[in-house]
Amino acid sequence: MIDFENVSKTYGKNVKAVRSLNLHIDKGEFVFVMGDSGSGKSTLIRLLLREIEPSSGTILVDGVDITHMKRRKIPHYRRKLGVVFQDFKLLKDLNVYDNVAFAQRVVVTPTRQIRKEVPQILTRVGLSAKYKAFPGELSGGEQQRVAIARALVNKPDILLCDEPTGNLDAHNAWEVMRLLEEINAEGTTVVVVTHSQEIVDKMNRRVIVMNRGDMIDDRHKGGDDE
Amino acid sequence: MRVNTIVYCIGQGLKNIKRHFLPTLASVGTITACIFLFSIFFCVVVNLRHTVERVEETVGITVFFDKELSEEEVRAIGAEIAKNNDIREMHFTSAEEAWAEFQKDYLKGAEELAEGFVQDNPLATMPSYEIFLKDIEQQGVFVDWLEAIPGVRRVNASSVTAGGLVDMNNAIGYVSIALIAILLCVSVFLINNTISMAIAARRDEIRIMRLVGATKSFIRAPFLVEGLLIGLIGAAVPLGMVWGIYERAIVYLQGKLAILARLLSFLPLEEIMRTLIPVAAVLGVGIGLFGSIGAVRKHLKV
Repeated sequence: MIDFENVSKTYGKNVKAVRSLNLHIDKGEFVFVMGDSGSGKSTLIRLLLREIEPSSGTILVDGVDITHMKRRKIPHYRRKLGVVFQDFKLLKDLNVYDNVAFAQRVVVTPTRQIRKEVPQILTRVGLSAKYKAFPGELSGGEQQRVAIARALVNKPDILLCDEPTGNLDAHNAWEVMRLLEEINAEGTTVVVVTHSQEIVDKMNRRVIVMNRGDMIDDRHKGGDDE
Repeated sequence: MRVNTIVYCIGQGLKNIKRHFLPTLASVGTITACIFLFSIFFCVVVNLRHTVERVEETVGITVFFDKELSEEEVRAIGAEIAKNNDIREMHFTSAEEAWAEFQKDYLKGAEELAEGFVQDNPLATMPSYEIFLKDIEQQGVFVDWLEAIPGVRRVNASSVTAGGLVDMNNAIGYVSIALIAILLCVSVFLINNTISMAIAARRDEIRIMRLVGATKSFIRAPFLVEGLLIGLIGAAVPLGMVWGIYERAIVYLQGKLAILARLLSFLPLEEIMRTLIPVAAVLGVGIGLFGSIGAVRKHLKV
């Protein structure tokens, strides 16, 4: 599903964010990417989102080379991806329903379909009762669930989560992780960038460890039994 | 593009205007000032041109010939003059016709004064040609050409009136072009600034749009719509002002400056608006789009 072939990314002249990365992620996998600040984990997400281009190497998603993709094709490629951020990035002047519907409106989904699918996805993340609430009226965990609903409403093949629990307390962090597990169980490939060793240990999933741009570990089972 | 998408882009454009009301107001104000000034100069220039055209139709050049020439010789010179391509119209006035015309104009009610000249036409040496030119601006050159023809004694032309109107028309044209050019630049700059602010305010929204797969044109369209709407409003306001004040201004001018008003000839409002509406709309839309395209290309790299 996702293949990094000898990918490097250098910012400016000599800030090497990713060095000669070779990585394969299967369809339907749940993968954690761990590492300290500046280790290259967020660069990995940005490369996958095609926000930046690698300095060298090739990235294949579903067999398609996204490194040499024409600019006009990038929006259509991105519709295969859902993305969740640490700071939620919800639009404060839109309520829960409209924040989720926003993702469909901007890819020109018919209104009838939006009216049908947004309530479904809000039910899926457990927020159907709060569809009229504004982000400021929700807890951190609820806001992140709205962000996940927005990421999922266009039915992406891959869900990319950049520190999704970074701003949440332990209880809400586990709620979000359980939701991501359920989503993965339904067939979506999930890539989660995180700092949290505790979450990685308890989830017991594949873990890629980055350090200063190098992949220094790729364990197929995270946690104590490894 | 689907109807939904068009409605969405217009809605977002309107929302942007609402969000940045003051900068939008400044942009609309400048475009309004620019197009209003343009409209005023347009009205003045068009009316002056109309007046000049009327003057051209009525102001003629009269050519008198040497006294010793016979009418046949005068007609022969006239035939040569008539070959000039600048001439729109040319009439011959014989000595008899000139005397009859003089009596009609100046001796009405005192016909007994004319009786003393029954057998002796005092204007016997005054056969003339009255000439109307196609373009009054050519009058000076044409008069010089006439005066150089052997047999031509005198050329009468109201060069002051014609030349004055042409000069005034040209001067107003140059001043208006300079002022409008400056205002155009200010308008484009202000729209550019307004749209840049709108882009900055919606940075998060734009990033999310990009990441969920919105196309470049979809992301850019609301900002172009915003510029277009500002331009259209900036064009509609001065058009409404011209519509409201044009006829009142004519009445005022005719009342306060009666001598000038008698000389000038004004076009009806409908005729002015027939040209002004499309020109102002194109100008407004042009300024709006030009300003917003600049801002979008600079600040919205999708």
